Amino acid sequence: MSETPVTEAELQAHVDGRLPPERAAAVEAWLADHPEEARRISSYRSQRDALRAALDPVLDEPLPLALDLRVSEPVPRHSTGGRRSLMAGAAAALFMLGGAGGWTLRDWNAPPSVGTAGLAREAISSFAVYASDSTRPVELAADHQRTLDGWFSERLSRPVSAPNLEAAGLHLIGGRLVASEHGPAGLYLYRNAAGESVALYVRPMEVEKTDRMTSRGEKGVRGWTWADDGLGFGVFGSAPDAYLHDTANLVRAQFRKA
Amino acid sequence: MRTPTDMIELVQPLIPALRRYARALLRDRDDADDLVQDVLERALARWHLRQGASPRPWLFTILHNLAIDLLRQRARRGAPLELDDVPEERLAVPASQEASVEQVDILTLIARLPEEHRSVLLLIGVEELSYAEAATVLGVAQGTIMSRLSRARERLRRMVEETGGASLRPSLRIVS
Repeated sequence: MSETPVTEAELQAHVDGRLPPERAAAVEAWLADHPEEARRISSYRSQRDALRAALDPVLDEPLPLALDLRVSEPVPRHSTGGRRSLMAGAAAALFMLGGAGGWTLRDWNAPPSVGTAGLAREAISSFAVYASDSTRPVELAADHQRTLDGWFSERLSRPVSAPNLEAAGLHLIGGRLVASEHGPAGLYLYRNAAGESVALYVRPMEVEKTDRMTSRGEKGVRGWTWADDGLGFGVFGSAPDAYLHDTANLVRAQFRKA
Repeated sequence: MRTPTDMIELVQPLIPALRRYARALLRDRDDADDLVQDVLERALARWHLRQGASPRPWLFTILHNLAIDLLRQRARRGAPLELDDVPEERLAVPASQEASVEQVDILTLIARLPEEHRSVLLLIGVEELSYAEAATVLGVAQGTIMSRLSRARERLRRMVEETGGASLRPSLRIVS
């Protein structure tokens, strides 16, 4: 055991094997007495190893000619990748729109149309149609966020602005106004680095003006709804439930603070 | 402009690692390699301005900044998904809710982290930059690197636990 207390920074450095030997020994001894912390440090090592295992195969791939300084001089590149992915995306969107149309018309018998259950259905349809649209998922892009917020605020008759969801790795793509049988609704779309989309759907509530956070899901789209003070919210996507729940909590906290 | 010999000597061995970091951030082989090509082109144009800066953090800084710009652009444009990237459950109606057990790999989990957490996990854990080098690349103090590292690891640990640890097992799908 050491006289000097072990710090969090030292524990992190220990995960990375970057402590000087005498300090590493002291940290090891301390961890032996703190099994909970030892488990935490060991799981940090496992996650790092998993990341390396997933990424190290890139090192063994043959180097493309354009990246080999010995044979080619790096030149400004004329982007050719855009068209390729745009076309694949359009194909995917057509495919998904077909699928979405099929189930939206088929198997709804006496679905709830009011309250947050109704809102959930509207949000799921909007997500299914717009999040997969590669041509124009949003009417106004994120660089017009102020205009978008103003538009929603006017049509929903209350101040609305796109929450910052960077804490969940989500960037705002933009949004559009959508029609519901209860009048206009605002749809914000976000995307993370994995390409996963998350929709935030918001509209005024006539029924269930205040409702707790509730888990919803239909046909592979999951999410959470709630209502605060006459405004109803839905956070939907095809990402896992826990992630969507964290995102919904972020949204709710920011709207309550506003 | 001819590629200076010392640039070839110093930069060539680092290219595989640059491709790895680009791939981890962009998750697309072609986009990542295009980005590395842009990095090399900039590095060549600015080689004389490097002024003795250590090449590894210098190149990773260029790469990191270009990648972040690209990710923001992609988000604004609403980058289209490749057909291969579309989750199965959105191409076909799943048999049941129970059937959709989370099948995610570690790279999908880190994509759900804030960008600043993802970068620090990759630069320290995978690229093995020193804490000081990572601070240079991300333009923050070393103390910030340590606290981000601690928060990022803890958050990822909780996400891994939610998948029942499955995401730590090697995936059959190699990053493409």
